Amino acid sequence: MRFEHLDRIVFLDGAMGTVLQQRGLPPGGQPELLNLTDPELLLSIHRDYIAAGSEIIYANTFGANGLKLRSSGHSVEEVVTAAVSIARRAAEGTGARVALDIGPLGELLEPMGSLTFERAYDLFCQMTLAGERAGADLAVIETMTDLYEAKAALLAVKENTALPAFVTMSFEGGGRTFTGCTVASMAHTLEGLGADAIGLNCSLGPDQLAPLLRQLCENTRLPVIAKPNAGLPDPVDGHYDMGPEDFARALVPCVEGGVTIVGGCCGTSPEYIRRLRAALADYAPSPRRSGGGSFVCTPVTPLRIDGVRVIGERINPTGKKRFQQALLENDLDYILDVAVAQEDAGADILDVNVGFPGVDEVEMLPRVVKKIQSAVSLPLQLDSSNPAALEAGLRVYNGKAAVNSVNGEAAVLERILPIVKKYGAAVVGLTLDKGGIPQTAEGRFAIARRILDAALAHGIPREDVWIDCLTLTVSAQQDQARETLLALRRVREELGLQTVLGVSNISFGLPNRGLITQNFLVQAMGAGLTVPIINPNQKEMMDAVAAFRVLSGEDAQCRAYIDRFTGQETKTAAPSAAAPLTLEDAIARGLKSEAAALARTALAEEDELSLVERRLIPALDRVGEGYEQGKVFLPQLLSAAQAAQSVFEVIRASIAEKGAAPVKKGHLIVATVQGDIHDIGKNIVKTVLENYGYEVTDLGRDVPPETIVQAAVEGQVRLVGLSALMTTTLPAMEETVRQLRALPHPPVTFVGGAVVTPEYARSIGADYYAKDARESVEIAREVFG
Amino acid sequence: MAEELTAAVRPRWTYRVFSLERTAEGIRLAGTDFLLPGKTAERMLAQCGQAALFACTLGAEFDARLRSSQARDMAGAVILDACGSAWVEQGCDRAEREIAGRFPGMYLTDRFSPGYGDLPLSLQPAFCALLDVGRRLGVSVTDRFLMVPTKSVTAVAGLSDRPQMARIRGCEYCSMQTTCALRKRGMRCAL
Repeated sequence: MRFEHLDRIVFLDGAMGTVLQQRGLPPGGQPELLNLTDPELLLSIHRDYIAAGSEIIYANTFGANGLKLRSSGHSVEEVVTAAVSIARRAAEGTGARVALDIGPLGELLEPMGSLTFERAYDLFCQMTLAGERAGADLAVIETMTDLYEAKAALLAVKENTALPAFVTMSFEGGGRTFTGCTVASMAHTLEGLGADAIGLNCSLGPDQLAPLLRQLCENTRLPVIAKPNAGLPDPVDGHYDMGPEDFARALVPCVEGGVTIVGGCCGTSPEYIRRLRAALADYAPSPRRSGGGSFVCTPVTPLRIDGVRVIGERINPTGKKRFQQALLENDLDYILDVAVAQEDAGADILDVNVGFPGVDEVEMLPRVVKKIQSAVSLPLQLDSSNPAALEAGLRVYNGKAAVNSVNGEAAVLERILPIVKKYGAAVVGLTLDKGGIPQTAEGRFAIARRILDAALAHGIPREDVWIDCLTLTVSAQQDQARETLLALRRVREELGLQTVLGVSNISFGLPNRGLITQNFLVQAMGAGLTVPIINPNQKEMMDAVAAFRVLSGEDAQCRAYIDRFTGQETKTAAPSAAAPLTLEDAIARGLKSEAAALARTALAEEDELSLVERRLIPALDRVGEGYEQGKVFLPQLLSAAQAAQSVFEVIRASIAEKGAAPVKKGHLIVATVQGDIHDIGKNIVKTVLENYGYEVTDLGRDVPPETIVQAAVEGQVRLVGLSALMTTTLPAMEETVRQLRALPHPPVTFVGGAVVTPEYARSIGADYYAKDARESVEIAREVFG
Repeated sequence: MAEELTAAVRPRWTYRVFSLERTAEGIRLAGTDFLLPGKTAERMLAQCGQAALFACTLGAEFDARLRSSQARDMAGAVILDACGSAWVEQGCDRAEREIAGRFPGMYLTDRFSPGYGDLPLSLQPAFCALLDVGRRLGVSVTDRFLMVPTKSVTAVAGLSDRPQMARIRGCEYCSMQTTCALRKRGMRCAL
C-alpha cells in the first residue's frame, strides 16, 4: 500500500483496550497477554472491525515492549508474533492490512525520566524486527506524547524494516502534548524523519481534535490521520460520552479539512467504524494547502523562519581559551551556561561547535546536544565538518535541527547531504568550493545554485537549504563587503532561499569594531539576510535586530521593541548611594554581576589563589555560619554560592588566559543513587562545593553502583557523595558504598538525603553523614585538607 | 514571575470511583483485581462503601521548568521546587472538590497514598495502570515505584454517608507537631 498520493479515504479500526474491557477484561490488566491466552477473543474483535469496514487493523501489540513485558514471563518476540499472527488470520482473504501497533514504552525518556534514547531505540527494535518477521504490513507508532520517544520508534522502524510507518501523537485541547510538544514541531520533525503518514489519536473527541488536525494539515505534506476517542470518559464509571452517530458526524469536517486516514481510539467499537464508513462514503481526499516554509524546532519551540532569526555563535571553542578548557575537562555545565546566557539574551537558534584538538567530536557533540536540550528550549544548529559527529548529534537531537555546513565541493555534498536528508534537518551551504571563495557575487551565486540543486537531488526541500554568502574582513579586502551583499540579495530574490551570514568577521583589525559590525549587519538585513549568526550578548547587535524588525513590519505594533527599551533607563541609572560595595558584601547578598566586576578589579592587585583563599572562602564561610545558626536560609545560601560562582568564572577565565594551572582544591564525585530520580538536593551540594573551589564530577541521578565505582577508579577520586530521597532507594546506596569499600584504594564516602540518618550512614559503612550542603563542605575540607 | 508561573503551572488530575468489597486479604475494588491491603486502608475506609482513586500531576512541563531554573538560578529553583510540592497538593484538593461535587450528601475521608502507613508503595504500578495515568496524565512509574514527572501524587479518598473525622490532615496528626517553626509562631500550614 502506498500512502503518498491517496486518492480515497482509508479506514482504520477502533479501540482494542476499551472493547476488551467491555468484554470482561478488568481495567489495569495487560491486554497483550491475551495474544497467548485468548487468541479467539482477539480474532473475533479484529473480524468485527474488518466486517465494519476497517482496511487496516492494529495487531494487539500496543504495550508489547521489553519494559512492560519484563515480569510477564514472555518475550517480546513471542507476544508480537502471536498478536500479528492472530490479526493476519483475521485479515486473510479480506484485503485488510495488518499494522504492528507500537505504543509508548511506559517509562519516560531522558531528560524527564532516566530511560536513554539509545535504550528506547533498542526496545523498539525488538518490536519492529519481530513484527516484520511475523508478517505485519506496516507499523503504526501511536499515542505518543514525547516527540523524542516517537523519533526513537520511527528510527527503529526505518532502519530495521521495510515497513511503511504511521505516527500519531496525543494532544491536549490547548494544542500541546503532556510534554509540551506543539503540533507544528511534531509535523516538521516526523516528516523530516521519513514518516509515511502522521496524525493525532486518543486524548480527545473528534470535535475537539478538529482545530489541531487543521493545524497539522497546514504543517505537513504527508497524509494526515485522525483516530480520536469517543469523546471524553466519565471519571466515575469510565464511560465515554459520544455515540457512534455523533462521532462519525464530527469527523466529517476533519476530512473536509484534509484528513485522509480515519479510525477510532478509546471508547469506540466496530459500530463507530461502520457509521464512519457510511458518513464518509461519498468523500474523497480534500485538496490541501500543504507545509512549506522554513522551519526548525525543539518540541516546545516551533520556529518558523519568516523574518530575521538570530543564531547565537558563542558555543564554539575557536579563540576562546575558557571554552577550550571546559571542553578538555568535560565541563558541560560551562557549555550549558553559555547556552543559557544566549537564550536569555534573545537568540532564536544556537550554533553548537565542539571541534577542538584533543576532543572526540563524535562522542562530545551528542553529549553536548543532550546537555543543552535538558535545560534550553531553543533549536540548535550543529556545526561540524565531521559527518560521523553530525550524525551522532542529529540522532539524539530532539526536534528539527540545522546543520552547519556544506559547501559547493561535490565530495562534501555527497558526504553530508545524505545525513541531512535522513534526519530531516535544514542545511547551511557556504558559497565556496575547491577553488576557494569566489571574489565576485556572480561566482558565489553560482555555487549557491549548485548547492541547492544537489540538495534537491537528495530529496531535501528547498526551504531547508540556507545559503551563507560569506563575510570577509573589510580591512583586508575592502571590495568584498559589497560582493557579499550583492550575492546575498540575489540568493534571496532569485532563489528565494534563507540566507545565513556570520557578520562578526567583517570588522576584524579595525578600532571600534562594534560600529562596523552593527552597520554591516543592518546593511545585510536590508539586502535580505534572514538568519544572522552573531553574539547575542552584544547589546548593540540585538538592538539592531530589534530595530530592523520594527522597520520591516515583522514586529507588529512595535511591541517587542517597546518591551525591550522601556524601563531600561530607570534600571541602569540607580547606583547605590550607600557605602561602596565590597566583594564580601556582594557575595553575601548574592549579587552575581557585582561580585564578578569586583573580582575583576581585585585581580589587578592580588593573584587568583589569594583571592579565593583570603576573600571568597571566608565570605562564603560567614554565610554558611549564618545558615547553621538559622539566620540565613537555603535560597540565600545558594544565592551567595552563585555569586561566588561568578567570581570563580572570572578567576578561571583569568587563569585560562595566562595558560596557568587551574585552582583545584580536590576532585570529588556526587551522584543520586540508582532508582532515585530526585536530584535537587544533590545539585545543591554540587553548587555549594563547586563554589568553594572543589572540582565536582556530577554523575546525575539514577546512577548504577558500577558507574560510580568506575568513575571513582578512573578519576582516582578520593571523595564520593551519594544522595537518596526515598526509602525504596536506600538499598542502592548501601550497595554502592559496599562496592566502593571493596576497592583496593577505597575513596572516602559521604551520604545524605531526606531519608538518610547518621545511624543509617554508619550502619552501611559510609564514612560521613552530611546533614546538608554546608556539612559537605566541612567533610571536603577534612578529606582534602 | 508569580503571574507567569500561575499561568504556566496547571495541575491535571484524573480519578475513578469504585465500590469496595471487603475480603480476607484486604479491601477489593469491585470489578477489578486491585486490593488495598493493610490496617491503614481498613481504618481510613471503615465507614465507606465506595472510594475514589485519583492522581494529580504538574506534568513534564513543570519538571522542564525546574531543570531550566536550576541551570539559571539554583536559589530560585529551590523555591520553585518547594512551590511545586505545594501546587500539586493544591491540585489534589481541587480534585477532591470535584469528586465531592459528583456525590452530593456524601463525605470524603482525608486522602492517603501508597507509601503512607502500611499501604505499600509497591501498589503504585497497578494503581497507575488502573487509572491509565500514562494516557490520561502522561505520568509513568519507575521500577522503584517513583512517579515521573516528579510532582505527581496518587491518593485514595473514601466516600461515606457519614461525616468523616480528620485522621491525617491537621497539626494533631502531623509528625512535625512538636518541631514545626510555623506552629511555634502560632501559625499553621495549608496541609
